[in-house]
Amino acid sequence: MDLTHTQTERTKRRSQHRAASSVAAASAGAARRRSTHRSREQQRGSRLKKAFRVGAGVDMPFLILVLVLLVCGLIMLFSASYPIAYYSEGNSYYYLIRQGIFALVGVGIMFGMSYLNYEYLKRISLIILPVGFLALIAVFFFPSSTGVHRWIDFRFFNIQASEIMKFAIIIFLAHWGAYQHKKTNTFKYGALPPLIIFVVTAILLYFEPHFSGIVIIGILTALMVILYGGKIRWFIVIGAVLVGVVLILAVTDKLGYAMERMDGWGKALEYVDDAQWDQTFQTRNSLYAIGSGGLMGLGLGQSRQKYLYLPEPQNDFIFAIVCEELGLIGAIVLLILFGLLVWRGFVIAMRAKDRFGTLLAAGLTAQIGIQVVLNIFVITDWMPNTGISLPFFSYGGSSLIMILFQMGIILSISRTANMNKV
Amino acid sequence: MSKGSKSKLMRRCMIIMSIILVLGFGTVAFRLSQLTLVQGQELQQKAVDQQLTDTTINARRGTIYDTNGKVLAQSATVWKVVLSPINFENDEERTIVSKGLSEILGIDQESIFAKTKEKIYYSVVKRQIESETRDKVLEFIKKIKEENNITGVIDLLEDYKRYYPYNDFASAVIGFTGSDDQGLSGLEYEYNDELTGTPGRLVTATSGNGNGTELPFQYEQKVDAIDGNSLVLTIDETIQHIMDKYLEQGNVENKVYNRSVAVMMDVKTGAILGLSVEGGYDLNDPFTLTDKNAIAKISGLVGSEKEKAESEALSAQWKNKAVSDTYYPGSVFKIITAAMALEENKVNDKSTFTCTGYYTPVQGAPAIGCHNTSGHGTQTFAQAICNSCNPAFMQIGQSVGKEKFWEYFQAFGYSAPTGIDLPGEANGLFFSSDGKMTDLDLAISSFGQGIAVTPIQMVTAISAIANGGELLQPYVVKQVLDPDGNVVKSTDKIVKRKVVSKETCDKLSEILELNAKEGSAKNGYVAGYRVAGKTGTSEKKFDIDGDGNDDYIASFCGYAPADDPQVCLLVYFDSPLGNNYYGSAVAAPVFSQIMSEVMPYLSVSTQYTDEELEKMDTTANSYLGLSVSEAQAKVQADGYSCVVKGDGDTVAAQLPAASTRIPQGGTVVLYTSVEEVANGEVEVPSFSGMTLAEANMVAASYNLNISVRGVSGVSDGVVLNQSVAAGEMVAPGTVITLTFTTSSNYGNNNVM
Repeated sequence: MDLTHTQTERTKRRSQHRAASSVAAASAGAARRRSTHRSREQQRGSRLKKAFRVGAGVDMPFLILVLVLLVCGLIMLFSASYPIAYYSEGNSYYYLIRQGIFALVGVGIMFGMSYLNYEYLKRISLIILPVGFLALIAVFFFPSSTGVHRWIDFRFFNIQASEIMKFAIIIFLAHWGAYQHKKTNTFKYGALPPLIIFVVTAILLYFEPHFSGIVIIGILTALMVILYGGKIRWFIVIGAVLVGVVLILAVTDKLGYAMERMDGWGKALEYVDDAQWDQTFQTRNSLYAIGSGGLMGLGLGQSRQKYLYLPEPQNDFIFAIVCEELGLIGAIVLLILFGLLVWRGFVIAMRAKDRFGTLLAAGLTAQIGIQVVLNIFVITDWMPNTGISLPFFSYGGSSLIMILFQMGIILSISRTANMNKV
Repeated sequence: MSKGSKSKLMRRCMIIMSIILVLGFGTVAFRLSQLTLVQGQELQQKAVDQQLTDTTINARRGTIYDTNGKVLAQSATVWKVVLSPINFENDEERTIVSKGLSEILGIDQESIFAKTKEKIYYSVVKRQIESETRDKVLEFIKKIKEENNITGVIDLLEDYKRYYPYNDFASAVIGFTGSDDQGLSGLEYEYNDELTGTPGRLVTATSGNGNGTELPFQYEQKVDAIDGNSLVLTIDETIQHIMDKYLEQGNVENKVYNRSVAVMMDVKTGAILGLSVEGGYDLNDPFTLTDKNAIAKISGLVGSEKEKAESEALSAQWKNKAVSDTYYPGSVFKIITAAMALEENKVNDKSTFTCTGYYTPVQGAPAIGCHNTSGHGTQTFAQAICNSCNPAFMQIGQSVGKEKFWEYFQAFGYSAPTGIDLPGEANGLFFSSDGKMTDLDLAISSFGQGIAVTPIQMVTAISAIANGGELLQPYVVKQVLDPDGNVVKSTDKIVKRKVVSKETCDKLSEILELNAKEGSAKNGYVAGYRVAGKTGTSEKKFDIDGDGNDDYIASFCGYAPADDPQVCLLVYFDSPLGNNYYGSAVAAPVFSQIMSEVMPYLSVSTQYTDEELEKMDTTANSYLGLSVSEAQAKVQADGYSCVVKGDGDTVAAQLPAASTRIPQGGTVVLYTSVEEVANGEVEVPSFSGMTLAEANMVAASYNLNISVRGVSGVSDGVVLNQSVAAGEMVAPGTVITLTFTTSSNYGNNNVM
């Protein structure tokens, strides 16, 4: 309010807690202007009430979009997964039940997060970066699945190290961009820290190996840098260097796994040799599914490709089943929902009360958008099949919880902004 | 936060958002539209292809019946072994299965292994396996399931196999099928579409691991196979067998090198009653060579030459000589020349033709001789035909003229295929396709040289003379029946055109009957049936046996009865290398033999001349159970001589048996005990070359009976062959059928 309006970024950061500041403001006001005590008490009461109502303060369109996408995701997950669940787990509801539980937990965490003042995240932003790196290193100590180390096994659930790292980078760069916003237009402050973080991350992911992780983190890092005011010429220089590095790696045949994956990319429908044909099996069947859907789709639940043709239809390729069952129309409707979510996320970002909030909301929203786009690129054979899940749809407890956790943060940012407007 | 930096941040947010939404989501929407709207159908087809297992259900091929409903070709259920290669999990499984199947089915392991590598649901390994092999495969399926846990890779499906109950019977007409049940020759080929039916389909949706049954989702659609239609032929199994029998006999006796043909047509409808090509092959085993000459020739070859010779010999074996081969018709064609002349009023009863033994048709050209080198002298038109006089026919041909000759050649159907429903029909050959010919051409074609026709064309043209002038389209399938036995199509009679007048035909029939009775065609005569016919002996331009003479074609074409013709028969021997090569000696007796059995079978009423009645066979009465003396008196009273064998009092057996044929004035042998029949056997003498009187004497001395066929009545008739070979032991009283021929043919004389 008055106070927050006049507060500088720095003082604001020091007196963060919403309740504390509002109580302090209220008591200070009461001491100074008794005559208006009653009205202020009423005001405070209504504000508190509003703050603790579920929908209060949070951006309702965003919340609704998240919940709608989550429900759509669960429905499609059930439809896509029941044959394989029946076949491999003996229970058609296997994936639905598990994902449903994760969704409930995730929604709980999301609401929890929406009440938490996101400014606390600044405090963990410096810790979370090392945690992210540790996670990326930790994966090497867990048994690999099919030669790749991506997961940390917590017995009850697994989490992809890169998920932690994506989040860590967004928070760190949001904080950094806010904290150093006067200097972020210099190479030293603006480009060097994210570059170092990205390079280290990329090296660790290279050994996992997890190339789609590198791509997503690279894009996210770049977006964050652009958001906080990076210079285009940095990207030109860094881009040139990166291309050089990739070329060197390619020439020296160090890309191994990625090259293997790249090999079949873009020609899943053409037979080159047995190896390529086998390798592009999933992508090919994804294309068959999408094509089968046509404009109107085969109808919800009517996919044929999910009957053990498309491997793991509940995971990265779930959108192919969406296309097969709901057609282009259904796919476009879902894309519009995702688009609205992105739009709303950026609206929240732009309305955030501080620079950190803006950068954080924009970064987290961008992550959703980027994953949607890249996921569909993969299932349509425009990008190598390297494991990019579709937010809210793909099966996976930890990533769903992670996404809802991040949505909670965005809600918190919107809530704080709205509270401050009142 | 400064106002400026804040607005810059907002702007950057807008930019990033726009990039994600417009660029990112935009391209994604574009890509999805491309896949669903542009490539959608193609992708869906591919998806459907892999989701649906499409199994063909074979239709049962239709049956082929003879005109009386006897089964000539039939399909019976057998089995086919198929693989679902996609269900193999590794090469070890592939090896086990390919090895096992190779042992059971006798196919090499590598080719089966290659099939197991395919990424498909359905691959046929072997078709038409019998139930014995099927049991072995079933056992093997069980074994690999128990021992190696391999399932769902081998399947046995119903299939059909073609059986031909009469083996080589009418092989040239019926034809055979290949391993995929497709007709390869004959009617099986010609009517393949009718016979095949429509295969059904069993479409099953399966899951990706090929094990649809484990899923709650199932889709199955069955389209039943529609069995093929059946054919009812005009071919009569009985007639065809009669033709086969005598044709083969003639073929062997005359050492025919290049096979022989007999075609019988119903002159009133064009229906082919029998089409016999000697040297048939077993339709159940069409790839085995039957022609001894070909086998001998091939056995001397090796390598690719052998293969080539073998495949040539096989195609020759499968060829229907009656429709696919042309030949110089020779004197048989004189019927046609005569018809032209009659129709064009170039000849009449008063016309005479002089033969001096040769004739020079074109000034300056060498003279062309007659088979009677001393000349026939002056002859009437009828005599010229009966003499088969070449100089006379050259003159007749000249009177017709080249243009008319070509016109009639076409009109009688020699310039175009007859349209018979058999594959591979050849066409007649004229000097030029537009009918141009020289005077010399006209002269030689008048007596059937220089022009080539197919046997089926010849029999069709002569049938036109027989039926009063209508050229018919010959056919072998009279009805097509659907699987329920309803008639789908039927052929009755297809008249192509009226060629000559009834008067011309009647006149010709009269002359040709005379010719068969006492002219050059008398060897083809059949007592009681008023045969009309003409012999033909034509020169080929080959010399297979290397005797320095060109080979010949001996043929006979005729019809009966002359007053109301029913059937027309052409018998033709290609390259007889025996003592005789004349149509009158080689083909005419066979014609007579066939006709003498076919005419009674067709219930054509007999019309005997008085002379014939005298020689006619009667049927023996029964004398069994009578006392010997009583029986003897009765036998003599019936007009036979009597011989008694044995010491008993009553007649226990007799030869010829009661109700069987016995020649007038023949011998009845009475036996007083049944054992005597075997005891008293006599050795059959050779009647070859004897006249009727001589044969009668010899037969009487042996207590044998003779029944007479052919030209026994004429003064120079001699025995050509006998139904029981000389040297065989038979009981006294046995009837031996003797076929007579004119003595001029028995040796080596000149009759064209």
